[in-house]
Amino acid sequence: MTSIAIGKDIIRKEAWDKVTGRALYNADYASPGLMHGVLVTSTCAHGLIKSMDYSEAQQMPGVKAILTGDYHPMLTGPVIEDRPPLARDKVRYYGEPVALVIANSKAEAAAAASKIKIQYENLPTVDKPSAAMSKEAPLVHEHIDQYRHVIPEVYPQANSNIVHQVKIRKGDMNKGWQASEVTVEGEFFLPQADHIAMETRNTRAEILPSGDIIVHSSSQAPFGVRKLISQHFGVDLGKVVVNVPLVGGGYGGKAPIQMEFLAVMASQAVGGRPVLIANTREQDISASPSKLSLEAKVKLGASRDGILQAGEYTFIVGTGAYADSGPRMTGSMASNCTGPYKLDNVWCDAYCVYTNHTYATAYRGFGHTSFTFAVERAMDKLAAALNLDPVELRRKNLIKAGDTSPSQVILTPSRLGDVAQCLDKVEKLINWSEGSRVEIDNNRIRAKGVACLWKTSDSPTDAIAAAIVAFNSDGSINLNVGAVEIGPATKTTLAQILAEKMKMDVNRVHVEMEVNTRVSPHHWKTVASMSTYMVGRAVEEAAKDAINQIISLAAIAMKCSPEDLALGQEQVYLKDDPNIYIDLAHIAHGYKYPGGNTIGSQVIGRGTYVMPHLSSLDRENGKGKPGPYWTPGAQAVEVELNLADYTYKILRAATVLDAGKVINPKSAKGVVMGGMSMGLGLGSRESFIYDQEQELQNTSLRSYKVLRIGEQPEYLVDWVETPNANAPFGARGIGEHGIVAIHAALVNALSRAAQVELDQVPVIPELIWQKREEEKA
Amino acid sequence: MIPLNFEYYRPETLADTVDIFDKLDAEGKQPMYYGGGTEIISMGRMSNLTTGALIDLKEIADCKVLEYQQEQLVIGSSVTLTQIHETNLFPLLSQAGARIADHTIQNKITLGGNLCGTIIYKETVLPLLLSDSQVFIAGPGGQRTVPINSVFKERMQLGKGEFVAQIKVDKKYVSCPYVHVKQTKQDKITYPLVSICTMAVSGGIRAAFSGVCGFPFRSIAMEEELNDRSRSMEQRIDKAIDLTPGPILADLEGSMEYRKFIIKGLLNSIINQLEE
Repeated sequence: MTSIAIGKDIIRKEAWDKVTGRALYNADYASPGLMHGVLVTSTCAHGLIKSMDYSEAQQMPGVKAILTGDYHPMLTGPVIEDRPPLARDKVRYYGEPVALVIANSKAEAAAAASKIKIQYENLPTVDKPSAAMSKEAPLVHEHIDQYRHVIPEVYPQANSNIVHQVKIRKGDMNKGWQASEVTVEGEFFLPQADHIAMETRNTRAEILPSGDIIVHSSSQAPFGVRKLISQHFGVDLGKVVVNVPLVGGGYGGKAPIQMEFLAVMASQAVGGRPVLIANTREQDISASPSKLSLEAKVKLGASRDGILQAGEYTFIVGTGAYADSGPRMTGSMASNCTGPYKLDNVWCDAYCVYTNHTYATAYRGFGHTSFTFAVERAMDKLAAALNLDPVELRRKNLIKAGDTSPSQVILTPSRLGDVAQCLDKVEKLINWSEGSRVEIDNNRIRAKGVACLWKTSDSPTDAIAAAIVAFNSDGSINLNVGAVEIGPATKTTLAQILAEKMKMDVNRVHVEMEVNTRVSPHHWKTVASMSTYMVGRAVEEAAKDAINQIISLAAIAMKCSPEDLALGQEQVYLKDDPNIYIDLAHIAHGYKYPGGNTIGSQVIGRGTYVMPHLSSLDRENGKGKPGPYWTPGAQAVEVELNLADYTYKILRAATVLDAGKVINPKSAKGVVMGGMSMGLGLGSRESFIYDQEQELQNTSLRSYKVLRIGEQPEYLVDWVETPNANAPFGARGIGEHGIVAIHAALVNALSRAAQVELDQVPVIPELIWQKREEEKA
Repeated sequence: MIPLNFEYYRPETLADTVDIFDKLDAEGKQPMYYGGGTEIISMGRMSNLTTGALIDLKEIADCKVLEYQQEQLVIGSSVTLTQIHETNLFPLLSQAGARIADHTIQNKITLGGNLCGTIIYKETVLPLLLSDSQVFIAGPGGQRTVPINSVFKERMQLGKGEFVAQIKVDKKYVSCPYVHVKQTKQDKITYPLVSICTMAVSGGIRAAFSGVCGFPFRSIAMEEELNDRSRSMEQRIDKAIDLTPGPILADLEGSMEYRKFIIKGLLNSIINQLEE
């Protein structure tokens, strides 16, 4: 059957508003009497707050209130409550909010903020994750064992910086190593980095005389915000209303809750008046949460024929000064630690540790972006040790239906997809067979690298979604969901799913772009590449519910059995004679008989969804089901390296994902290209740079570089479609996946070109030079 | 957003400009001259700027000149990098300017602003040093025209209230063979790891550098070594690098050793091109 909306390049519904600059983002809205909050952030990475003098700031014009950690003290966090919204007594990272000035205008607040004088007594700092593990390491948190656990499955170790540990124990390691004729080991480092969403994080809050707390926020988690504001401010859940308009990029960075606490506190301090707190770019980089760092050790063993026999993985995950979702990501990394390869003997120890750096939160890929680099570099080392082509080694070991994941989920075609097809396709796209290292002339080398990936949701086991489908009197539909439009055209994709189910024109499906927690049905969070899947399932169910209502009513009006009727093109018609029909418009708000009697009323479909059978990871062996399915893929990069100065160009970058079903090809390609662009940025230039005192050095876009137009390669994106049996039209999530292995493919290519082992990112020309010099010496 | 309050003046003559400066200074307003404003905006929003008044130089007729006057190319200090690039009257200067920041910012940055700002790179000074340009300076003590090689020592040596009004370049230098290279840490649009401007004149190769030390410079001593054809290319370059007028930078852009490696490579290729 030909589809109406699925597989079509539908232009996103808000496209014209966005390209003409008319679309409004959260901080674009002004409200009468709006006050502004400006943060004062720590200039010390680890220290005691000895004194804070805000007497001058208090006298400045327009200043209404100055808040410090003693105002409404609380500890927050999604896994373990360890973070005060404003530092109390001590600071744990450079950039940590220590005070908040509220004034009539932003300029007045900023002027006063610059007059606050704070004295710190410096404490010794913790820099890298491995340093945090040392017995002698200074403690970032002295009383780690006293924090409240939000979820039971978190295991902080008293008197240490270890906030969580995950173990994977699968198979028999002794057996695995005995069968390994060739082993390789590698150590890898991926530093912290930032999301660099185009819209910096911001929140506006007010407290009405009724006691209702109204929050407007640039957030991926409006329902999470509502829950935590309710909990921490002691207000009934329903009295907190969180509104989220279009969001200018999230990448995980807008899933945690930080600005929202501050904005509500600020409003509280000025009698409930509305207060906007909006990060500058510098604050968004240094004060708000970032991407985690990882030190990884990977040891792989294989038999001489190139079959993996054993894999041992040690991940030390730097979550920065506060845990946030670091423990969850640690679990996510451990439970997928092998990458998409069959390994019967797996041992993984993953630690989540505190450091004196900006705290980490979800970042596109939820930890996969980091550990996949280590795994895929190790696979290239193994290929070299076995004298096997890197594509061939991967092909021999790809995981298949019938195998089990590291957390012992039994894989089926529906759950896993088809990695082998992805690898075959990407091999052709990048033209691997023409040679993976070619000398162009004396100085220039062209080389290719490949890497594979997989990722599942790693979501809570009780994450839910819902949809409301309400009909207008002309037969068109208003679709209302709790997913936020953070950029990937999710709302348009959902409209396509609904249009297909209703067999009607997608232009007749109107989607509410904003989320209001009092109006929109619940959605867990817009994260984990799960919105199309979870909300899509709810939309399907809502469509089914609406169709039942429509057909039942039409059956009465048309004096027949519901079984005799079908719906399509906004008509309900007789299956055996489509020329006899009734317009949907005449049903949508009830059917009116000639003479005026009316039966039925507005058709409103409802649908909900929860992912079934997810389970937490076992503390001792890591057994558990972390997500409903995986999206696998393969990526490749071609570079041209200049040996005279080690500069390089990224010529081409290719991705093939098993998308299950591609609902909107152009949107999907754009999302994957965006992921690739971010990943190439991490591979080639992006990282936080800290000095000896752990002060963040590159807090602005002058020094924190992202890929610019003109620096991008040619992007090649293609698909494999192995449906997921539970997903709408079989579609697997693809939102994050473009980033996951692309830097590994890049660095595999660069290592091959330069003939040195590059085991960290970003790879700048100086790093290649340095490795070549070390090699010479 | 700039949280600072300041007065704004936009005089149209050199004389008015100096008068306004004197008046504001006497009032204790710590006046500053304003060219393209890119540094003022970026420092202002970080609260790293203290001034009570800005004097915009962009409407002063003398500062807007961009033309040949007899045998000299005259470039007003308010001329933007984009104007310099688009008119291309001094190709080496065009190229050096076209690698500063990005196009949007080049529309704002003025020649005078780049020469006199706080940024340590000031890449537009390199072609001016090579071409023995003259600097026309206005100030409370009157007007003076001085060789750039005497007034630019690490930075423009201006007295209180003085500002650069014009740069004058002898026509003969404008068409000399030249090479400009800017190498960065990684990105095309960023500060230089090393930026080198070179020019072949009758006496040999002239070379000026930015990103090598904490200030841009042209060194006669280094030029002498580079032009010493009695030695091997490697010796010429090694000798020259030993004579930098300050320690070679080690910072976020790169280490000292890597900079040396890059400078050597670049000088080698530049000299080969110019001596062909």
